[in-house]
Amino acid sequence: MSVIQAVGSFLMIAGTVLSVLAAWGVLDFPSALARMHAATKSASLGLGLIAVGAGLGAASWGLTGIGVLVAAFLFMTAPITGHLLGRAAYAAGQIDGLVHDGLAGEAPPKAQITVDTDRTLSPIRWIALVLVWVLLWRDLSAGTLLGGAVVASLIELIRRADQRRDVNLVGLVRFFANYAWLVVASNLRVAWEVITPNNDQIEEAIVAVPLQTRSVATALLVANAISYTPGSLSMELSADPWILYVHVLHFTSVEDVQESVSKLEVLAMRAISNPVPVDETSPPS
Amino acid sequence: MEVTITIVQALLAGAALLAIVRALRGPTLTDRMVALDLVLLLFAGGLAAQGARTGSAVFFPVLIVVALVAFASTVLVARFIEWRDTK
Repeated sequence: MSVIQAVGSFLMIAGTVLSVLAAWGVLDFPSALARMHAATKSASLGLGLIAVGAGLGAASWGLTGIGVLVAAFLFMTAPITGHLLGRAAYAAGQIDGLVHDGLAGEAPPKAQITVDTDRTLSPIRWIALVLVWVLLWRDLSAGTLLGGAVVASLIELIRRADQRRDVNLVGLVRFFANYAWLVVASNLRVAWEVITPNNDQIEEAIVAVPLQTRSVATALLVANAISYTPGSLSMELSADPWILYVHVLHFTSVEDVQESVSKLEVLAMRAISNPVPVDETSPPS
Repeated sequence: MEVTITIVQALLAGAALLAIVRALRGPTLTDRMVALDLVLLLFAGGLAAQGARTGSAVFFPVLIVVALVAFASTVLVARFIEWRDTK
């Protein structure tokens, strides 16, 4: 067995352990949202690890590439399913036993995401699209590259940009480095919660967190990052003022939650710099 | 490698059983959907492990399809829960 295959085996085992803990949490946790914290996030990370590990275990870079694609896909979709299911369960009145409910009272005005037809071209995005195409075909021939270039150009032409923004690569790397640590820590926390027999430490709450950013892209990055972290889940985003409603599994105090979200937000703001704010009339709160 | 993959697949199957118990118990539709979403993800994990065992590329595109189906179905049911219960 080569070193690469050993790494693959390790990743697969780690992913399996996460998945088993997620399933145990789904069976054991006391409420629908707590179960979701265990399931959608831990299991997505688990499947991502298994997929990458399987590619390495098969000792094939092409298959590893597809594993990475699957992991990236799960990173983007798991928060969306968590958010939609959580919001639906709350709207349907299936959530009770909250220690603190920042969403109670009248429904907040929903954030309106305006889309104009300003078409901006970004070389980084174009290269990323070609890369995905090459990974999907597991082939680096001239024909594949040409096909990828055509498809990427078509997507770039028909997509609509919401606003001009620049991605700061160093900021993005720093964001994901910090974020990876957060994901590991919170997965360990939920894992501990699952293997300890009593669920005393679970104190569910919904906390309203005012956002400083007025950029849709930054808010999206923060909301997604929060939702991919087990133990916290974005429930709703309201405009005027911009408030993110976060459901947490281990509630200590409103300030603690707001502080940890703000840390993530500052990192995200450095990753995506926005020369033109969406709404200049309302000052940051 | 063979042994590792067998253990991985056995554990994933056990996890899927736990999730199916939750899907049967409910009590709300949200619980069932969370559990079924998890079953699909675990199934995809088993497929990926099988791909590592055989070294065959066939399993990996299927992996993408299963992940897509899990996502789309969960979104659909979430919209349904919201529509049905807040009318």
